[in-house]
Amino acid sequence: MIELSGVAKAFGARQILRDVSFTVEAGEVACLIGPSGSGKSTILRTINGLERHDAGTITVDGTLLSDKSLPAIRRKVSMVFQRFNLFPHRTVIENIIEGPVHVLREDPEAARARAVELLSRVGLADRADAHPGQLSGGQQQRVGIARALAMQPQAILFDEPTSALDPERVGEVLAVIRELAEDGMTMVVVTHEIAFAREVADRALFIDEGVIVESGPARDVLTAPSAERTRLFLDRVLRPH
Amino acid sequence: MSEFLTDAVAFLPVLARGLWTTVLLTVCALAVSLALGLVWALMGMSQYAPLRWTNNIVVNTVRGIPIIVQLFCVYFVLPDWGIDFPPFLAGVIGLGIAYSVYQAENLRGGFESVDRQLVEAGTALGMSRGMITRRIVMPLGLRTALPSFGNTTVMLLKDSSIASTITVAELTRSGQLLAISTFKNGTVYVLIALLYLAASIPLAMAVRALEKKAAWR
Repeated sequence: MIELSGVAKAFGARQILRDVSFTVEAGEVACLIGPSGSGKSTILRTINGLERHDAGTITVDGTLLSDKSLPAIRRKVSMVFQRFNLFPHRTVIENIIEGPVHVLREDPEAARARAVELLSRVGLADRADAHPGQLSGGQQQRVGIARALAMQPQAILFDEPTSALDPERVGEVLAVIRELAEDGMTMVVVTHEIAFAREVADRALFIDEGVIVESGPARDVLTAPSAERTRLFLDRVLRPH
Repeated sequence: MSEFLTDAVAFLPVLARGLWTTVLLTVCALAVSLALGLVWALMGMSQYAPLRWTNNIVVNTVRGIPIIVQLFCVYFVLPDWGIDFPPFLAGVIGLGIAYSVYQAENLRGGFESVDRQLVEAGTALGMSRGMITRRIVMPLGLRTALPSFGNTTVMLLKDSSIASTITVAELTRSGQLLAISTFKNGTVYVLIALLYLAASIPLAMAVRALEKKAAWR
């Protein structure tokens, strides 16, 4: 479904990614973990072209990512952001139908009907006409997920979806992502929630200094890592004090 | 005092006509300045370098010439090239062009204040650059630009008095003619000042009300 091969990326003189290769199969949930600044968000952002990779190839659903294929790929892959990035001048439901109506050119009524369904799926059916500023962080992120789902994507990229949330709001967002995993949605999730990744992810990739240090079944990588760097990182994250 | 009042009553109809022309001139020049200003702002933010250079030249040229000279150029110089505007239209065009560069700065400031992450959200949804500008950057940026836009409009209202120099019979010009013919300089100019205030204060209040309405939370 998503395949990266030898992907490299530099910001000026700073090499962020070097030779990153991995495959995410359809229906698979892959978690990218690693210290901040390791390049895991950048990996995610190259997949939908928010960052342009310097070398290597990225293939989504059999389509090679290029300037020409980028619009088509963005229709197949949705994204959920750390800071939600909802449009503050539009209501919740307007945020959700923005893509379907204006990018996919769907009928506004049909898009609205589906948006209402998505809202009840993320538990916010009663907040359709609220503005994002009136919602809690957890609620905003659930709208962000509904907005991503409204594009009827084949895969969703999550960029630290719970990092900007108050601790007591994390659970409600993870619950929605967990449900998506059960429904078989293909997902690539950058996260610091190790316990969640262990439970939900099929595969975990540990990234450090722009390379994949270790990858494998989530349970193995996150419980009994084989690489020393992964072990040190997990120790630090799981026993921070 | 009673003499001031009798004179005021006698002069007001003439001055009111002038004020009406001032308001009309301001509104028309405002429309021109906003339309042109939007073009300059979008050019200034364009991804194509030649458009940005052109915008730079236009903005610096227009900003570097006094408004009164710009009005003279439109009213006295253009006829030499066979382009002859009546005074009011020359005033609208001259003030509109002169103010377009300030409006462009207001708009650009607003547009650039829009959170880049919202632009990314639009990009990730597959929106084109133009669609992002229309549906995200412009509606959000305009709200941010509103206060400075209000200031500029009040300045434009006052600077419309410069059109008196190209014989537009707006408030200042009507007052000058009245003062010359009646020798009542004091009464006339106090009245003019009050009438400008009567127009600019409600304008500032209207913009403030608009700002409140545009706030989304």
